[in-house]
Amino acid sequence: MEPGSAFADLTSTLEALFATGVGANLDEGSFNELALRVFAFQFGANAVYRGFCKRRGSTPDTVTGWEDVPAVPTTAFKYVDLACVEPSAAEATYVTSGTTSGSERRGRHHVPSVALYRASALPNLRAHLVPEDRALTLLSLIPSPAEAPHSSLSAMMGFVAEEWGEPSVWLGGTGGSIDLEALGRAARDAARRESPVLLAGTAFAFVRLLDELARAGGSLALPEGSRIMETGGFKGRSRTVGREELYGALEARTGVPRGRIVNEYGMTELLSQLYEPVLREGPGASGRHVPPPWLKIRALDPATLAPVPAGTPGLLAFFDLANAGSVSHILTQDVGAVSPDGVRIRGRAEGAEPRGCSLALEDVLGAKEGPG
Amino acid sequence: MSAAAREFAAWSLPAAVALPERPALTDRYGDLAVQRLAVDPSWVRGVAAGLRASREALRRKPARELAALVGAAGARFLDPEDPMRARALALLPETAGLSAEMSAAVLDGMARDWTAERLERLLSAEFTNPAALDGFVPGAFELARALGPQLCVQIVSGSVPGVGATALVRSLLVKGPTLVKPGRGDVVLPVLLAGAVRSADPAVGDALAVVYWPGGDARLDAAALLEADVVTAYGGDEAVGLLRASTPVTARFAGYHHRFSFGVVGREALDTAHRHRTASEVAGAVAFFDQRGCVSPQVVFVEEGGEASPVEFARELAGAMEVVERHLPGGVLDAGEATRLQHVRGTAELQAAAGAGVEVHHGGTRAWTVIFDPGPELGPSCVGRLIRVRAVADVREVPAVVSPLWRHLQTAALAGCGTRRERLASALADVGVSRIAGFATAPFPAPWWHHDGQGPLRALVRWADLEGE
Repeated sequence: MEPGSAFADLTSTLEALFATGVGANLDEGSFNELALRVFAFQFGANAVYRGFCKRRGSTPDTVTGWEDVPAVPTTAFKYVDLACVEPSAAEATYVTSGTTSGSERRGRHHVPSVALYRASALPNLRAHLVPEDRALTLLSLIPSPAEAPHSSLSAMMGFVAEEWGEPSVWLGGTGGSIDLEALGRAARDAARRESPVLLAGTAFAFVRLLDELARAGGSLALPEGSRIMETGGFKGRSRTVGREELYGALEARTGVPRGRIVNEYGMTELLSQLYEPVLREGPGASGRHVPPPWLKIRALDPATLAPVPAGTPGLLAFFDLANAGSVSHILTQDVGAVSPDGVRIRGRAEGAEPRGCSLALEDVLGAKEGPG
Repeated sequence: MSAAAREFAAWSLPAAVALPERPALTDRYGDLAVQRLAVDPSWVRGVAAGLRASREALRRKPARELAALVGAAGARFLDPEDPMRARALALLPETAGLSAEMSAAVLDGMARDWTAERLERLLSAEFTNPAALDGFVPGAFELARALGPQLCVQIVSGSVPGVGATALVRSLLVKGPTLVKPGRGDVVLPVLLAGAVRSADPAVGDALAVVYWPGGDARLDAAALLEADVVTAYGGDEAVGLLRASTPVTARFAGYHHRFSFGVVGREALDTAHRHRTASEVAGAVAFFDQRGCVSPQVVFVEEGGEASPVEFARELAGAMEVVERHLPGGVLDAGEATRLQHVRGTAELQAAAGAGVEVHHGGTRAWTVIFDPGPELGPSCVGRLIRVRAVADVREVPAVVSPLWRHLQTAALAGCGTRRERLASALADVGVSRIAGFATAPFPAPWWHHDGQGPLRALVRWADLEGE
C-alpha cells in the first residue's frame, strides 16, 4: 500500500473512533493495536523519525507496546520537520507562540489532515464545554483562524465557531489587544437573545481583560448558562499561583460561576487536548485534567524516562493517536501526576532552585515555549 | 560514616544572636537532614543590624592579619587530618548533587584560593598598597583610604559549591561585616568556613553570619538588604534583577548574573602530538562542576584545516568525556536539568537522523553528551556535561559568532591558537569576554581575577580622600 492510501485508511479508522466521542470504548489492547499501527505508519512515512527510532533500537518489528515507541521531545519541533508528508504538502503548519522579542525559534507542527485534528478536538470540546450540544454565542479573545492561520488554538476555535457559534465574535487581535467595546456589545446582544456564551481566551488575555474592565470600571455580565474556557494557565509558575485569583475575578466580573470556568491544556505539538471536567463532574474536578481515550499520558522520571508510580509527579509524555500524520509519542517539559482519573499538572519541570550560574543558550536568547 | 555527619545545620551565627522562635525546618537528601532556620523578615533585619554594629573588631585588625586569619581557616579544608575537611567531603555530594570524586576536586580547587598566601596576593593585586585598608596612604595626588562595607549582604542563588564561601572571604578581607545567604546546594562550605573563622577569633566571628533561606523569598531578601551599604548577588538574570531592584539606592550593588562561557580550539591543538591532550582538557573543563559554573564552556569552536577535522575532534572529545566520567563521575541532575538534557539530546538525535550532518555521542544514563553541529546557529544547550562542537574555518571568526551574546559572555578557554592568541584575545575582549584562559585552568580562576570584569575586592570598598588644609 502506498503511503497516501495507508494514511487515508488510518485516518478514516481514527475519525470513526473519535466520532464515538470521549466515551469511546477503547480498551488497553485496542489502543495498543491502533498505536502500533500508527507507529508503523509513522516509521514508514517519516524518514527523520525512522532514523531516530533506529538509532534508539526501536522499530515496528521490535516494539510490542506503545510505551516503547520512541518519544520525540517538543523542543525538536523547533529544529526538525516531523511530518509524514512533505511540509509543503501539509494542510496546515501550526507554529508555537513565542516571546515578544520574536528572536527565538518556534516549533512547527506540520499537519497533513486538518480533518483529523477537527475529529479529535470536537468531541472533546463537546464533552467539556458544550455538553448540551446546542448553538451558543462564541466570544473569542483568541484571534480567528483567518487572522492567525498558524495557530493551532485559533484553528480549534474555528472548529467551535463552525459547530456551535451563532454568532461567533472574534475579539482578540494577534498583538494581544482586546476590542472591549465590541465585547460589551456582543455580550449585551447575547443577553438580549438569551443565548449562553462561551468566552474563550488565554490566561494572559483574561488578565488583560480584567485589567481593562477594572480601568473602565465596568463589568461584563454574561447570560445564564454561559461558560469560560481558559487556556495556557499552566505554563510557568507565577501563573499557576495566580489561578484562583484569576478565576475569582472572572466570576466576579462576568457572573460565570467558578464551576463553569474550564481550563484547557493543550500544545501545538499535540492535536488532542485535555480539559478539567468541571462541567461534567462539578467544581471538585478543578485542578485535574482528563484526556480523551485516544490520548494516553504517562509521568516519567526525567533522568531515566522510566514511569513513576501513579500519583507521583513526573515528566509528562503523551501518546496521541490524533497525531497520526506527524509523531504520536511526545515528551513535554511539563510535570504532572497521573492517576486513573486524570492528570494533575504542576507546570514546567524545574529544580527546587536554579543550580548554576552558567546559562543554557536558549535562555540567553529569551526562548520560551508557549501555549498552542 | 558517623551519625553526626548525617545532620547539618545550615547556619552559622554570632553567639549573641537568638535563634528564631519557630523550630527549624528540615530539607532531606536521602538520609541526610539539613536543618534550616524558620526565619522571618524582622529576625533577618535584626541579625543584619547586629552585624553592622559589630564591625569595630574587624576594623581594628590590619588587613594582612585578617588575610592570615581567614587563610588559616580556609586551609583547614585542605588538611587531610582536619575533621572540617572530612565533614565537608561527607556533606557536599548530597547537598550539591555532585559525585564524591567531583566534590573533592571542587573543594581542593576552591579551598586552594582561601589560603593565606593566595589571599595576601589577592590584596596586593587589588590594592597598590593594601595598607590603604588600614589607614590613609599616599595616593596619586592626595592621601586616600579604602573602606570596606559597614555591612555587605550577599545573596547567592546558584549552587556551585564555593561561591558563598568565596563571597564571605572577600568581604572579610576588606573588613566588611557580612551576611551571606547561600544557594540551596552551596550551604555547606560557607557555614563551615564561618564556623572556623569564628572559633579562631570570636570578635571577628561576631561580624559574620551565614543563614540559608529558600531562594527568591523577596521579603526576606529585602529585609536583609535594608541594612546593607554593599550588596552582592549571584544567580540567574531574573534573580539578580529582582535583588538589584530591592537594593536601597544608597547601597552599592555588584551583580554576578548568568554567564555564557565557551572554548576555542585552533589548528595547532589538533595535530597528532596534541589532540589527545586537548580533548582531555576540554572534557575536564566541561565536566567540572557538572558544567554549572559560570566558567564552564557550553560550546567549543574547533578550527578546520588541522590534522583532525572538527567532527573527528568531536569523536575524540566523546572518548575523553567517557574517561573523565570514570575518575570524576557526574552527579545528580535536578528535574529541570534532566528534562532539558532529554530535550536537547533527543533534538540532536533527530537532527542527526534528518541528515543535517549533526553527530551525537553520549553516555546513555550518564549525562555527558557531545553534539557536533555543522549548522550556523549555536543551538540549544543545557548543563550536565553537554558540549556542542561547532566548526569554524578560522578561529578569528569566533568573536563575531559569539557577539550576539555580549551581555552574558565571560570565559573563553583557548587552545592551539599559537601566535594568533593575543589578537584573538583582544577581539574576544572587545565583544564582551572578560576572561581568556586555557582549558585546564578554566574551572578555577585565580582569586584576583577580574570577576565578570571588575576587581572582586575593589567592587566592595569605597574610598575616602584626605586633602591638605
